[in-house]
Amino acid sequence: MARILVVDDEESIRLLYGEELAEEGHEVATAASAAEAVELLAGDAYDLVVLDIKLKNESGLDLLQQIVKERHEMPVILCTAYSCYKDDFSTWLADGYVVKSSDLTELKDEIKRVLARKSR
Amino acid sequence: MPAEVCVEWECCWAKNEIAPGECPYIAEGEEELYSTIKRRVVEKCLECPRFRTDLLRLREQGHPLADVLPFIADEFVDQKARLQSMGSFLTSKTREIRFLHELNLVLQTSLDLDEILSVAMTAITAGKGFGMNRAFLLMADKERQFLRGYLGVGPRNYDEACQIWREIGQNDLTLREMARNFQKTKLASEKIKFHDILEQLSIPLANHKHIFSRTLRERKAVLVRDAFHNPEVDPELAGLLGVDSFLIMPLISRNRRVGLILADNCITHKPITTHDIQLMETFAFPVAFALERASLYERLHEEVEKLTAANAKLKEQQELIVKMEKMALVGRITSSIAHSIRNPLMIIGGFARSLLKTIAESDRNRQYLESIVREAKQLEDVLEEVLSYADSLYPAMDTWDINQLVTGVFDKFRERLVQKEISCVLAPAAALPMVFIDYKQVAFCFRTILNTIMETPGVDRIGLTTWLAGDDVVIEIRDNGTAPPREYGEEPGAPASVAQELGRNLGLPLCRAIIEKYGNPFVIEALPDRGTKYTIRLPIRKEGDSNGADTGRG
Repeated sequence: MARILVVDDEESIRLLYGEELAEEGHEVATAASAAEAVELLAGDAYDLVVLDIKLKNESGLDLLQQIVKERHEMPVILCTAYSCYKDDFSTWLADGYVVKSSDLTELKDEIKRVLARKSR
Repeated sequence: MPAEVCVEWECCWAKNEIAPGECPYIAEGEEELYSTIKRRVVEKCLECPRFRTDLLRLREQGHPLADVLPFIADEFVDQKARLQSMGSFLTSKTREIRFLHELNLVLQTSLDLDEILSVAMTAITAGKGFGMNRAFLLMADKERQFLRGYLGVGPRNYDEACQIWREIGQNDLTLREMARNFQKTKLASEKIKFHDILEQLSIPLANHKHIFSRTLRERKAVLVRDAFHNPEVDPELAGLLGVDSFLIMPLISRNRRVGLILADNCITHKPITTHDIQLMETFAFPVAFALERASLYERLHEEVEKLTAANAKLKEQQELIVKMEKMALVGRITSSIAHSIRNPLMIIGGFARSLLKTIAESDRNRQYLESIVREAKQLEDVLEEVLSYADSLYPAMDTWDINQLVTGVFDKFRERLVQKEISCVLAPAAALPMVFIDYKQVAFCFRTILNTIMETPGVDRIGLTTWLAGDDVVIEIRDNGTAPPREYGEEPGAPASVAQELGRNLGLPLCRAIIEKYGNPFVIEALPDRGTKYTIRLPIRKEGDSNGADTGRG
């Protein structure tokens, strides 16, 4: 099982993801902002980041670039309400892209896929 | 007067008053001369042979003036003849000036090419004008490459000539009236009448040896004599005109070669005089100028029409841009609202799902949670479609290679298609023309069709073909599923109404709304054995038709 960092400005979503992913056996930490995420990433080792694109007054894509630049081995899955960002080349840096849904099956499958690839 | 008293004179010069019939030279209408001796002597007696006899008698009588008077009388008669000749010369010149004035008036004021041609050709051939039997007008084309026979006027044979002259004789019309009649009743038929000759008169202006080119180059009228034996004249030209003598008059305006006029007397064979040539030369410049001006005006008119059309198109484009901006705004607002809804919706649905996992099958609250999960999921699906459509509202009209667009969409679905074990056979036609479409909207349609097909039970094969049909490119997608989508199968002809479809599967009705805006129906048909066929027709953008499919956009 993996250590996952969920970055989302919505508290309820952090709670929901935390519970659901923990249920899958993962160890989940959450961050409400880019700064908090950077701090957590600096302090602990994570296997994967689940990142929202639209954070309050911040862009998740900027954080994605920072993570790729500083920790290029760290897999990131973008999880967003916007499907249109799929066509934006700046999202292609991420290892996965999932559109937010109440059914978390797609997100869970994507996490499995990315972790499996990382372990290969 | 002593002469009256002493001698019986033969002439009446000595009588104050005479009786009718006494002078045989006083004609009817000149009766006043019976009682006016002065006028009678000047107008009649001085030229009367009887007066000469009386002068001889005077000499015999030894009258001192007898030797002088015949000189005076002769000089008087001579001067009178000269005056009469000058008078008739002046009358003829006045007539010519009047004619040229009338002609110039029309030529200077008219901008109508046909009117100018009618006036010019009537002036050459009418008795009141230059009185030539026949005339041909040759005009240089726009590029000044060819001199082409444009119009011929006159009779083709003697009988026709007699008929024309008879008609003219019956009506005393001015030049302008004659020209107007000609334009109204004869211009078109004269063009046809001399079509064979006119066609053969045409020459390339680069043919410098031809007498026409030479005349234009030298800018001087040429009177051709003995045409059949004249080394300067092409025998074919002489044979074509069938006359021994003809006049070639160049039409030059501001150093530009406008054309030339050929004139002859093919019926009367009356010689063409130097005076005729001089008169025609006076007339040639205003004709050339008027023809040049009329053709420039015609070209200007064409350009104004083009400009007006371009302006109208520009206005349409501006309106279209405004419309597209409004649509883009609608798209942005819709997108913003939808995103605001999406997060709370997924939280509600997500927690309901979490709770559902912890609740016993027998718990009475379970059905409520299931209901929340189901409704949240349905709302999420509606939102996804609204967002996808809103995204397609951002304008992106341009020319696109439809094969590239369709295969691009298929590529994005490839992984999912493989997962579902659906095979694809793509057969796009080669060298299809570009289509003028909104890429995002049409891509949305193909994505929707593929999503629909993937949800249709029993599909394991998809085929795609494209081809050109008239002014459209046709895209056909077939599957081998069990049935066409329900909302289309039940109401194939129902009008698209986005509002009515809200809450159901929005995808295909939106596709229909999009495709219909390009002026073609979106057709979904059940195949006879099994499967469904989706047909989309998209217009090819025409050259210069910047509107393309825009006309149908709402």
